[in-house]
Amino acid sequence: MKYAPFFGCMIAVKYPQMEAAVRKTVKSLGIELVDLEGFSCCPDPIFFKATDKLTWITVAARNICIAEEAGLDLVTMCSGCTATLSEANFHLSHEPELKEKVNQRLKRIGKEYKGTVSVRHIVTVLRDDLGIDRVRESVKKPLEGIKVGIHYGCHLLKPSEIMRVDDPDYPTILETLFSAIGAKTVHHEKQALCCGKACMSESIPEKMTYDVLTSLKKSGADLMGLICPTCFDEFDLGQIKLARKHDGDLKIPIIYYFQLLGLAQGLSPQEMGLHLHKTRADEIIKKLAGSN
Amino acid sequence: MSIKAINYQFKKKLDSTLGGEAHSLCYQCGACVGDCPAAMYSEDFNPREILLQTLLGDEDTLTGENSPIWNCTNCYTCYERCPQAVRPVEVIIALKNICFEKVTSAPEVAQLVDSVKTTGRTVKITSLSDRRRKELGLKEVKMVPVEELKELFEP
Repeated sequence: MKYAPFFGCMIAVKYPQMEAAVRKTVKSLGIELVDLEGFSCCPDPIFFKATDKLTWITVAARNICIAEEAGLDLVTMCSGCTATLSEANFHLSHEPELKEKVNQRLKRIGKEYKGTVSVRHIVTVLRDDLGIDRVRESVKKPLEGIKVGIHYGCHLLKPSEIMRVDDPDYPTILETLFSAIGAKTVHHEKQALCCGKACMSESIPEKMTYDVLTSLKKSGADLMGLICPTCFDEFDLGQIKLARKHDGDLKIPIIYYFQLLGLAQGLSPQEMGLHLHKTRADEIIKKLAGSN
Repeated sequence: MSIKAINYQFKKKLDSTLGGEAHSLCYQCGACVGDCPAAMYSEDFNPREILLQTLLGDEDTLTGENSPIWNCTNCYTCYERCPQAVRPVEVIIALKNICFEKVTSAPEVAQLVDSVKTTGRTVKITSLSDRRRKELGLKEVKMVPVEELKELFEP
């Protein structure tokens, strides 16, 4: 199984522990990542899309062209990159006039969008191409006794007519993936809430992240499990900011799915870069060391 | 309440901006409001009201410097809920595109695009980020051919 990985900006530069976790864990799953030259920012689905949608789609199309030239499907590791590249791919393959306009610009750099590859977040590759049994079989140290409160985020699921990943209101893909590595998933009241990162007000996202984190804490979860570096930023770094305003430290470790998969495969917390998180996961690491 | 004259010129402008064309289909049912997180957390944000303003062509409110549109969280829930396929979030993004043209967007927006234009990325590579990658056993981040990107920014 070969794919062209698209790590984007946030993961590659700000949170490389997520890239390391993906690269190290997919090896034992039989997924081959073929690195391609020349990718740029996806570009960003919030601010960049807010400036000029046509340029946004054109820059995204250039990235898709690179995968088309190599004949490989694109796998994304960030929900933002997934949103941009999937939306661009969808519009370009459904709207011939738009495709024509975009290809006129791409011609300047000797590229042409053809519409021959798909774009998918890597979690869908695990569920749909690989099969959940293969994930389960790769586990050496199941995460028994660890309770995960999931944060889905928005852009893996919505708009569902484009993403086609799961029911946007009652998704199960992440429950399935976290269960496969032996963790117990616990539902929390604000599970469907957005992380708020894209909102330009200061107070709205702050209230939202606080509510998500306190609802997760109330559910008895040991950690928040997620699949998007932007949501991670909002909850991991955001927690430090929240602690200054609210009494009682939340101290909820925020962990990317592939970092937990790595621990379950027997890789070390150091290799998974857990020491780089602002909210430390020491308690969980201790718990796992005790149970194995 | 005073009777407002509809600004058809602005509605035309919105029609010709990608994603803005469906605003006229809105019949003000309010399905977009119920699960809107920004509306839940702020009295100043209401997607149905924003759509009403687009129906009236209220250019000043929507594309002025204090436009409420910037409080949208881009969660796409309204896109799911709208029975008319208005895709309110896409209309809001089209309004943001108009703001960018009028230079009324927040400076952060232009800064991000400049960063992509000049470095190919939104996040700056630093000696710390290089060191972290090395420690994790990762290769250096690949350079982006920015000259190619610049060509794509021209209309």
